[in-house]
Amino acid sequence: MDRIRIATVVALQFITGIIFAEPSPDFERDVLPILERSCFQCHGPEKQKSGYRLDVRDISIGGGDSGYPAIIPHDAQNSALIEFVSGVDPEMKMPPEKSKAQPLSEDEITLLRDWINAGPIWPDALAGKVEEVLPHWSLEPLVSPVVPGNESNPIDGFILEKLSEKNLAPSPAAGRVTLIRRLYYNLIGLPPSPEEVEAFISDSSPTAYEDLVDHLLASPRYGERWARHWLDTIQFADTHGYEHDIARENAWPYRDYVIQSLNEDKPWARFIREQLATDYFYPDEPQLTPALGYLGATPFDLSTYITSGVTFDYLDRDSMVTQTMAAFVSTTASCARCHDHKFDPVPQQDYYALQAVFSGIIKGDLAYDADPKTKRDRDHWRTVLSAAQAKDGETLLQSEHVERVKEWLSERKVEKTWTPLNVETFQSTDGVMLTRRPNGAIQSGGPRPDKATYTITGTTELKELTAIRLNVFTVDKLPKKGPGRHEGNFHLSEITVRVFKQGELNPTQIKLRRATADFNQTDWGVEKSIDGNTGTAWGIHPAVGLPHHAVFGFDEALVMNPGDRLSIVLDQLHGTGHIIGEFRLDVSGEGTESTVALPTSIVEKLSIAFTELTESERVERAAAILRFVSDDTLAEFPEYSSVYAAASSVDMPDGADAPKWVTLAKPKPVHRMERGNFDSPAELVEPGALSVITALPARFELTAPEDEASRRAALADWIAHRDNVLTWRSIVNRVWQYHFGRGLCDTPSDLGRMGGTPSHPELIDWLAVWFRDEANGSLKDLHKMIVTSQTYQQSSMTREDAVEIDEDNRLLWRQLRHRLDAETFHDYTKAISGNLDLTMGGPGVQHFTQGPGPQLTPTLDYDAYDWDADGANRRSIYRFVWRGIADPLLETLDFPDLGLLSPKRGFSVSSLQALALYNNEFVLYHAQAMADRLTEESSDLDIQIARATQLAWNREPNAEEQTEFRTYANTHGLAALCRVILNSNEYLFVD
Amino acid sequence: MNPFHPQNPMTRRDALRTFANGFGMLGLAGMLNGEAAASTLSTGHLFPRAKRVIFLFMAGGPSHVDLFDPKSRLQTESGKPLPFAMPALHRTKTGNLLGSPWKFARHGESGMEISELLPHISTCADDLCMIRSMVADNINHNGACLQMNTGEQSFSRPSLGSWLLYGLGSENQNLPGFVVLSPAQPAQGAPLWGSSFLPASNQGTLLVDLNNPIANLGNSQFSSKTQRAQLDALKMINEQHAATRGADNRLNARIESFELAYRMQTEAPEAFDIKGESEATRNLYGLDDPVTEIFGKQCLMARRLAERGVRCTQVYHTQTSKRKSCQLWDQHGGLRQELPNNCAATDKPIAGLLKDLKARGLLDDTLVIWGGEFGRTPTAEGDNGREHHPFGFTMWMAGGGVKGGMTYGATDEYGWHATENPVHVHDLHATILHLMGIDHEQLTYRYSGRDYRLTDVYGNVVHDIIA
Repeated sequence: MDRIRIATVVALQFITGIIFAEPSPDFERDVLPILERSCFQCHGPEKQKSGYRLDVRDISIGGGDSGYPAIIPHDAQNSALIEFVSGVDPEMKMPPEKSKAQPLSEDEITLLRDWINAGPIWPDALAGKVEEVLPHWSLEPLVSPVVPGNESNPIDGFILEKLSEKNLAPSPAAGRVTLIRRLYYNLIGLPPSPEEVEAFISDSSPTAYEDLVDHLLASPRYGERWARHWLDTIQFADTHGYEHDIARENAWPYRDYVIQSLNEDKPWARFIREQLATDYFYPDEPQLTPALGYLGATPFDLSTYITSGVTFDYLDRDSMVTQTMAAFVSTTASCARCHDHKFDPVPQQDYYALQAVFSGIIKGDLAYDADPKTKRDRDHWRTVLSAAQAKDGETLLQSEHVERVKEWLSERKVEKTWTPLNVETFQSTDGVMLTRRPNGAIQSGGPRPDKATYTITGTTELKELTAIRLNVFTVDKLPKKGPGRHEGNFHLSEITVRVFKQGELNPTQIKLRRATADFNQTDWGVEKSIDGNTGTAWGIHPAVGLPHHAVFGFDEALVMNPGDRLSIVLDQLHGTGHIIGEFRLDVSGEGTESTVALPTSIVEKLSIAFTELTESERVERAAAILRFVSDDTLAEFPEYSSVYAAASSVDMPDGADAPKWVTLAKPKPVHRMERGNFDSPAELVEPGALSVITALPARFELTAPEDEASRRAALADWIAHRDNVLTWRSIVNRVWQYHFGRGLCDTPSDLGRMGGTPSHPELIDWLAVWFRDEANGSLKDLHKMIVTSQTYQQSSMTREDAVEIDEDNRLLWRQLRHRLDAETFHDYTKAISGNLDLTMGGPGVQHFTQGPGPQLTPTLDYDAYDWDADGANRRSIYRFVWRGIADPLLETLDFPDLGLLSPKRGFSVSSLQALALYNNEFVLYHAQAMADRLTEESSDLDIQIARATQLAWNREPNAEEQTEFRTYANTHGLAALCRVILNSNEYLFVD
Repeated sequence: MNPFHPQNPMTRRDALRTFANGFGMLGLAGMLNGEAAASTLSTGHLFPRAKRVIFLFMAGGPSHVDLFDPKSRLQTESGKPLPFAMPALHRTKTGNLLGSPWKFARHGESGMEISELLPHISTCADDLCMIRSMVADNINHNGACLQMNTGEQSFSRPSLGSWLLYGLGSENQNLPGFVVLSPAQPAQGAPLWGSSFLPASNQGTLLVDLNNPIANLGNSQFSSKTQRAQLDALKMINEQHAATRGADNRLNARIESFELAYRMQTEAPEAFDIKGESEATRNLYGLDDPVTEIFGKQCLMARRLAERGVRCTQVYHTQTSKRKSCQLWDQHGGLRQELPNNCAATDKPIAGLLKDLKARGLLDDTLVIWGGEFGRTPTAEGDNGREHHPFGFTMWMAGGGVKGGMTYGATDEYGWHATENPVHVHDLHATILHLMGIDHEQLTYRYSGRDYRLTDVYGNVVHDIIA
């Protein structure tokens, strides 16, 4: 704007200062009506396409975003405005044909020309101005307002103040039965039992209500109820979504983490930090790793991932940016993907800075140790292993490790270890003649083919085998004396060991865990002979003319019974005659220390004491030995736990059985994309957040920007910061929504200009400050503050006097009548039929049967589910949620489309919903189960009926109902009556 | 923005938004009065030329150069390379030009050129408005199907049918307003007919089993007589409950919804039951021949639904007498065998549908749309196949306010690029909405801080094809 002002200063002097004698078109009378009619639609007070508007003099003349003046005084010919309206470039003719605006006639264009050439004269009074943009309410500094009145609960002060402004009275408090039903619904999502209702009604303590609130907040059921609210908000489901909507078998630990965190009442700032970067903030608490499931919660487009990488990167990060900004700071940041946000002060750069926060991670299964000690120990041994691999003397020569090395050597008993295999058969492909030598070795003779495969079978007296050793020997007649037939060298491509158990038709392949050798050719190490790739091999160049050996350790000890035979296949497929000249196979049943081959250079000096060695010899020895020690120790660790998250290294579920490891060595560069077009990268953008929060730096100052976790941590700190005014407003408004059916601002994930207008902004601010400073981010305290208010405890009955003034109850003159949502309908029904299973945690329960689909996405049949199955009656939060294939019953009850963020639930009514509730197997099953329960509890129909209404409605039937229901049950059966009750409004609505 | 301090009088849209989802006050009125609510929006926009849509979807991508877009140079230069560079956007590299193995002839007074594979549709030439210059943006089934149905290639967005239902309501509350008939589930599944962020009541109802069309219409335990008795009991309970709760539209709407559900239980089976159709009608749709029976049944059901005021019916061709597939028209190979099979399965039923609608006076206000997610390359994949081709392909519409016998737009001499009057998918959507009386720029829904449209920020109505 400043630039434009400067550019037009000169022009303005002409316009306002000079009056010509000639009568020229009058702005107000002649020009303005044309502009209003034909231009304002796109370039006026409402819209300013290309930043240009004709209702403000400065901009009319100075031009819009292009910075190019639109009107040049006295020079209509060269004024862009005239060029546009006269259609010099037909493509750019204004108004465009497709707009409904009336084009300018020739006369009108002439009039505009004359007006410009004659000045133009644009009176000050009509100069217009750009409306001063006040900070939006949600961005104003967060200051605790004075609480109106003297109510004991400040919430009531704010509500009553607004009500009295409209001469509205609040509604009276609801009765105790209503209150207990309401509290149970809001706080734990289950119905109170008739006994619990009775106890509450007869509790004469003045703190009865508060006690009940405390009791419910302390219940583990609370976390189960509230977890789903958060999971909706952040779009969590158990499958990918999109075209290849496949299962994420390890998504559930995040769900359990959320439940647990809520039950523990984790402070909000801590909850933020854990979900975004627990690995950075709390490395010593690996049990919190499932928190990172947050980062993986949004959909994953496997198809785009496979076919177009860069587009995928930007789109997938977009999902994380959108999710994070919506969930934590209620900002629609993704609007700034293509251009500066049109309504909120979010420039495009901010959006891409947020993308850069997530540019070092990718979604997939993240392996972790849930037990801190296991993690510490495993980390320790991994450090040792990598030090050994890197021959890092500083680490390896620490006394602790030197001791290890000594110990290892003292336990080693190589010579007693090995027994030759009792060879029974030996043969080769490709015409090689194998012969047995007197010393038991097998020699390769005859023509030398390019490649060959030897197969040897044999037995052993050993009862248990743990390793096999391949010895290769020198032979005088071979070139360079062997042991290989190519200039002394050979290449062992693969070794395969199988066992034929006595009486079994097919052999079992033995898994080889480790291969070691006394010598390894550079890039042709012995591990390549067990890597499953026949293109790689073990070789010994240049150490030819010497015997060598390699040891192959089994993954598990192999029990050998009489009659069991081993078969060993030696593939030597490199070509050019790289085949073994003479060899012998030995077996061993000793432990791992003894059955590794150490490099000759180390073996030669084993008799020399450690202290006598040179520094580099010490490192060599320690490295060689500690590699095995750490390797063996690591092998003993329990398997990793796994959570579907996003991290720098993950195993990506892609529909195949084999793991698919994806690792990002460092964060990918993120460019701002012109117009959001991924083919048009502009400048590189560094990690950061929203510049609109002026109290905090918008770009992160990272000491190690390559450390991707530090980027996420910086964003978490930015969000959780006490001065981030959006964070605190966002969460208190979100929590409010679930207690009153609507937020004080009714767009909980958008507190921006396109969001709703808050009914009580002061109350939001008061709650935000109180929650942050007094409650220290305790959600349970916030719940208690809200539900102990008189506002919350009001009756939900409508009142005609109030309806006239505030029909929609924005001012909260009554409480909302809640309809059971999808989960509570499920859980209530299981509870009152007596089947609710309160088992917590673990993999999700699949309420469907699965069949193969046309592509990776399977077909699901929800109708075929057996409601007697294990876990069928667990709480709905433990349901396996298939993102793209909704449960038909829950969908009609407005379970959201989790292809999208779902900050609030709809509450629809439709005939399809009625049909579903009426005829769905779930309802029929539980109607029968409820009838069974009632019959079991009493054989008296009247008692059964009374019990039924107590369970479902928390009240006794009235006399008329009792009669009607008795008649009804006698005619149609008790299950039919239960089905009617399960469909009743009194059951589905919570007053 | 805040519906309680409206800048403008409340529209049906605002009202729905106010009540967040489904039936609020106006929604309830809508439920009770059917069309009354729908007209609220129509009057706000345009004069509707069509009241309902039947979208015949040939999933997989039907070959335009073999069916509707004959190219003489493609024939004469068959086997030679395409004389210009193919666009960078491609999947597998295709080879040289492949002339159509089939002959074209002119039909009707309009002389519209149609392949010999479609003898029955050819007899309807003068009712067809053929668009030979369709353009889409995505070369894969998933993205292209999503775009054809929702306007967007990857994210979850409301489908065309759900926008129509949202904007216009349903004419018949005893049936779902948006029905999808598909014997095999299309590969992309529910997102093709989902309501996304629109209220859930606007989503399409998928019917996979043509013999048992709507879920939950009945159940295993209770006879319909018992059902009525139960509903009466439920009504009594609910009315007593409502009487003690003051005015609450949701309670009343729910009471009413059960009555509607009950009526749907009786009306829906009737709507889908084609047993009562005359021999002549059944034969018109090819129900007497196993080759045409399945798609014939789908088309006949579509007509019955159109008659009963269903706003949008989508008919996916996903099963023939020989096979079931979510992408029947995806001839990467087997073009010479599979394309004739597909045509044989659909040609007569489609012609039957057009003729039947016309005979019943329904074609005037029923917009029939034929097409797939894209066309196929004029060049060969292998020696008997064609690749995906979104750069220029053919769709046609009939009835509902379009010009019959018209051929609009053209591809280049080889059938590759749409060169004359290109019609993008967004333009098609804008035009469909326009024909239904909706200004595509005005039908919006606010979600996540933005007003969304079916056409996003694109789309021009193709006025030239409107009668």
